[in-house]
Amino acid sequence: MTTTQYETIFQQVVALLQQHAPQPGPIQEDTELIKDLGFDSLKVMEMLHDVEDAFDITYPLNALSDLRTVKDFTMQIQAIIETS
Amino acid sequence: MSLISKLDAIAETRKAILPPGVDPFNVVIDEIYSPTEASIEGQRVLLAGSNNYLGLTFDRQCIEAAQTSLEQEGTGTTGSRMANGTFAGHSNLEKELARFYDCSNAIVFSTGFVTNLGVISTLAGPGDVIVLDADSHASIYDACRMSGAEMIRFRHNNMEDLDKKLRRLGSRTDNTLIIVEGIYSMLGDCAPLQEIAALKRKYGAWLMVDEAHSMGVLGDNGRGMAEAAGVEQDVDFIVGTFSKSLGSIGGYCVSNHPELDLVRYLSRSYVFTASPSPSIIASVREALRVIQAKPELRTKLWVNAERLYQGLKALGFELGPDLSPIVAIRVPSKEKTLLAWKTLLDQGIYVNLVFPPAAPAGMSLLRCSISAAHSPEQINFILETFSGIKHLMT
Repeated sequence: MTTTQYETIFQQVVALLQQHAPQPGPIQEDTELIKDLGFDSLKVMEMLHDVEDAFDITYPLNALSDLRTVKDFTMQIQAIIETS
Repeated sequence: MSLISKLDAIAETRKAILPPGVDPFNVVIDEIYSPTEASIEGQRVLLAGSNNYLGLTFDRQCIEAAQTSLEQEGTGTTGSRMANGTFAGHSNLEKELARFYDCSNAIVFSTGFVTNLGVISTLAGPGDVIVLDADSHASIYDACRMSGAEMIRFRHNNMEDLDKKLRRLGSRTDNTLIIVEGIYSMLGDCAPLQEIAALKRKYGAWLMVDEAHSMGVLGDNGRGMAEAAGVEQDVDFIVGTFSKSLGSIGGYCVSNHPELDLVRYLSRSYVFTASPSPSIIASVREALRVIQAKPELRTKLWVNAERLYQGLKALGFELGPDLSPIVAIRVPSKEKTLLAWKTLLDQGIYVNLVFPPAAPAGMSLLRCSISAAHSPEQINFILETFSGIKHLMT
C-alpha cells in the first residue's frame, strides 16, 4: 500500500462524492458520508455504482457496515484494488 | 440515547408525512366480502392492491378443503417440522410441488419470508458469494446478510452490470449464487431470465429465482418466469410463496439437486419455526390443483392486467416498464401520493402506497395488483376513478 496510490484514489473518491453528495461541502479524510454529506441508503447505492465503474472493482455490501469516513472509504477501495 | 429513543426519529417522520388519522400502512379491513371487495372504515371498497392474482382466497374447493382439515386435524401443529410438526399434509404438499415443477425435491416453510431466510442462509456461507439484483425483496437481503457470504449487488435487470460483476469474480463463480425474482414486486417488471441463465452458464455460477409474484401467473403451466422463459433446466433453486396466487400463507423451495433435502436439517427458520396449520396446507394443496385444472384463470388475469395497464397508460399515467398483474403508478412526491391514495380510498378503491426505500430509485408509487376475479366493470371503475383524480398526481 503506497501513499501515492492512496492519494490518487482519494482524489477520485472526493470527486465522485462531490457529484453525489446530497449536502455539498468541503470533503476531507475525516468527513463522514452520512453525518456530513447527507448520504442515505439509496444515495450510497447510486454512488457505489459509479465508484465501481470508475475503479473497475466490485464493492461488497458487507463492507458498508465499516464505512463511516472518506478515509475509511478510500482505504476500502485501495484494499479491493490490491486484492483484485 | 436510550434503547428505544432511536424510534423517536420514526415518530417524527410519521408525524411529518401522515396527517392525523391517516395511516396507509395500517389499514384495517373490517369485513371482507370476496377476493375483490371489502369494508374499510364502514365503506364498501374495491380491492385493487391485494396480490390475490387468481382470486383463490374465496375458492369454494379451497375453503372446503380447509374446513375438512380443521375438523379432522385441528387448528394447528403446535410445533416445528423437525420436532413435532410434520403432518402427512406437509409431506404430501412437498411431493405435489415437486411433481408440479417436475423437480426431485421440495421443502415447505411457514412463510415466504422465512423460506428465503432459511434456504439462502443455509446454501451460502462465509467464503461464498451472492450476486443479487438491486431491487430484490427485503427477505432476500436479510437472508444474504444472515448467510455471512459476500454480498454483491448488480443494477436492476442490467445484464451488462451482472456480466461485469461475475467477470470480476474470476474462479470464485464456482461458489457464487445469483439471485433474481421472476416479477419484481414494486414495479411489476420481469427479469430477463434467458439472458441471466446464459450468464449463469457462461460463468459456471448457481442460480436461484424467487417466483413469489410469478408462480400461477406466468408459464403454460403457471410455474412462473423460469417456465415462461424456457430456462427451468438452468435454474438450480426456485423459491416461492403460498400467499399470492395460492391464496393462503407459507413458502417453498424446489430443486433437482438432491442436497436440497439436507437444507431442512440446517435451516434455522425450518427447524425452529412452527409448521403451517393443517388447514392452511389443505387449502394450498387444493389451490395447487385448481391452478393446474383451470388455466383459464391465468388467461383472465392477463386480460384484466392488460385492460388496467393499457387503460392507465392511455390516461397518461407513468407506469412500470412491463405489462404485468402489478401495475405501479409513479407519483412526483410523497405528499401527492398520500393525497391520491386517500382520495382513492374515499372514492371506494384500495391500492397500495409505497414510499422509498421500499420503492426503488427514490420513487413514490401507487401500486395496484390485479386479479382474475376482477370484473371488466370493476376495472373500468378503477380507470374512471384514477382519471378523476389525475390532477392530484401531477
